[in-house]
Amino acid sequence: MNKASFLDTNVIIHYVNYKENKSIDIITKCYSYISDKQGKFIICYATLNELFDVIKKRAIIYKEVLAKVENPNHSFEKNKSLSKRDISYAEKLYLTNKQIELKKLNEILASEREIFEIKIEQFLKYQLDEKVIPIETINIELVNKIREIILNYADCKILASAFQLQNERDIFKFVTADKTDLDPNSYEYLKEHLELSKLSSLSKKPKFPELVNLMFEN
Amino acid sequence: MVTRKTAEQIKEEILFHLNNEPISIEQLRKKLDSNWSTTNNYLEELSREGKVKEIISADKAKIYQRIFGDTYFDIPISLEERKKFRTLFSLIIKKYKEMNKIPNKTQLAKTAVKVIHSPESGLTELPTVWYLYGLIPLMIADTSQDYQEEFVFEHKQKIINIIEVFIIENQDKKTKQIQKEQHKEYNDRLYQLSDDFLELIGKNSWDNNKIFEVLNEFFIVCPLNEEFKEVFNFTERFISTIRKLSHFDKLENNKTKILLTFDALWKFIATYKFYETISLKRKFSDKNLLNLYLGNAISVRKSCAEESLSDLYSIYLSKLDNKELELAPETEKVREIMQGWTGGD
Repeated sequence: MNKASFLDTNVIIHYVNYKENKSIDIITKCYSYISDKQGKFIICYATLNELFDVIKKRAIIYKEVLAKVENPNHSFEKNKSLSKRDISYAEKLYLTNKQIELKKLNEILASEREIFEIKIEQFLKYQLDEKVIPIETINIELVNKIREIILNYADCKILASAFQLQNERDIFKFVTADKTDLDPNSYEYLKEHLELSKLSSLSKKPKFPELVNLMFEN
Repeated sequence: MVTRKTAEQIKEEILFHLNNEPISIEQLRKKLDSNWSTTNNYLEELSREGKVKEIISADKAKIYQRIFGDTYFDIPISLEERKKFRTLFSLIIKKYKEMNKIPNKTQLAKTAVKVIHSPESGLTELPTVWYLYGLIPLMIADTSQDYQEEFVFEHKQKIINIIEVFIIENQDKKTKQIQKEQHKEYNDRLYQLSDDFLELIGKNSWDNNKIFEVLNEFFIVCPLNEEFKEVFNFTERFISTIRKLSHFDKLENNKTKILLTFDALWKFIATYKFYETISLKRKFSDKNLLNLYLGNAISVRKSCAEESLSDLYSIYLSKLDNKELELAPETEKVREIMQGWTGGD
C-alpha cells in the first residue's frame, strides 16, 4: 500500500498555480505529485489556516497594485502586512500592468484570483482525504524546539503537527517544496536536534516522516 | 461646620464628572473624596436609574459612562453643542411646518448636515459622522422630540435660508434618493457603491458583469487599515465568494443570502466609518477612549458579519463541483508573474 502524504502549504499553492507548458519546474513537479495521487493526502489545520492567509495576502497584494496604478505615488512599503518578498511581486505586477486601464486591470486581477481560490477549494473538497491536528492541540513545546532551527513560526507549527501525527501513525511522507529550511540535510539535522532534545511530548525513540522535498527530486 | 452632601447631590456630582468621558470608580472616588464602596453603591443606583452604564468591568477596575441617550453610542458632546443641535433641529422642524410638511428622521438629519456643512451657517464645528445611511449629525435627530430654541445663532437668518432651499430642492424626493444624493454631494465613493450594488441586486434580473464592476470598485475603495484589518478582509471575502459562486450557480438563486450578508457587512463597515470619522475630530482623537464607546458595537457587528459571511461561504462550498476552470487568456501574464509566490517570506 502507498504511504500517505502529509502536504506542506507550498505544494498545494504550486499545484494550484500550474498552467500547462507555461509553468516553472517546481510547479510542474507539485502538479504531477498531486495529479498522480498515490496514497492518502493529509493536511493539518495549520496548513489550512495558512492557505486562507495566502488567499488574503494575495488580495492585499492586488489591492496595493491597483492603488499604485491609480496613484503612482502610492508606496507598497507602507503596508505592514506585506513582506519584502510580497512587495517585490507587487512591484513586478505593477510594472508589467501599469499601462492597463484601472477598471480592466481590476477585472483581470479579480478573475485570476478567483480561479486561484476555486482551485484551492476544489483541492480541499475533492482531493484531500484528511485534516488533522486542530490548532489548539499543536504541541507548543515541540513548536518551540523546532523554532530553534527554523525561524518561520507558521512552518514550525506545520512541522510540529506532522511530527505529532507521525508518532501515532505508520510512516508517511512529509511533502514540501521548501528549498531553504527543509532541504534533506537540514531535515536530518532537525531530526537529530529533536532526538537529542528528549522532549517529554515525544516518545523515547521518536518517529519522523519520510521527507519528500520536490525541490530536490528528479 | 461641614454639611454632609445628600445622596442626590452626590449623584449629581457623579453625573457632572461623567459629562465628558468615561471614568473608573477609582478616579471618581478621588474626585468625590469618598471610598470605593460608597462610590460603587451610588453608581449602581444611577445604573438602575438608567443614567450611567458600566462599560468595562475587571475586578475593581470598573469604568462607567454617562448615558444621555441623545447621541449615537452615547458619545459625549458639550452642553453648548447639545443646545446648538437642539436649536438647529427646532429651526428645521419649524421651517418644514411653515411649508406644510412634517420631516421624517432622515429629512431632519440630512437637512441638519446640509446646514452644518455650509460655511455660512457658522456651525461647521458641530460634529457629524458617516454611519449606516451616510453623513448624519452626531446628535440623534428625533422627530418625536419637542426641540426648542435654546441658543442664539449668530447667522440665524442664513441658516433658515439654507434650510428653506434644502426643503424646496428635496420636497419631491424619496428618502432613499435624498440619501443617495448626499453620498454624491459629500463624495464618499464607498457609500455610492453600496447604493449601486443594492440597486443592481434589487432588480428582477441580475447583470453579473455590472455587479462585478461595482464590487471590483468596492474592492479598490474599501479601506485597508492595520487596526481594522477585518474591514478589508471581510469585504474581499464577500466579493470573492460572490464571484466564485457565480461559476456554480445563478446568483439570483441566492438573493436573500447575498442581501443579508451584505447588510451585515455594511453594518460593520459603517460602524468602522463612524469610528474613523469621529476619531479625526480633535476631541475624540484618544483612541483608547473611543474604543470604550465603540469597541463593543464594532465587535458585535464584526461577529455578525463574520457569521453571515461564513453562511454564504458554506452555500458556495456546497455548490462547488470539480469542473475544470480555465484562466482567461488576459490573466495568464498575472499568473506567470505570481507563479513563484507561495505567501512565504
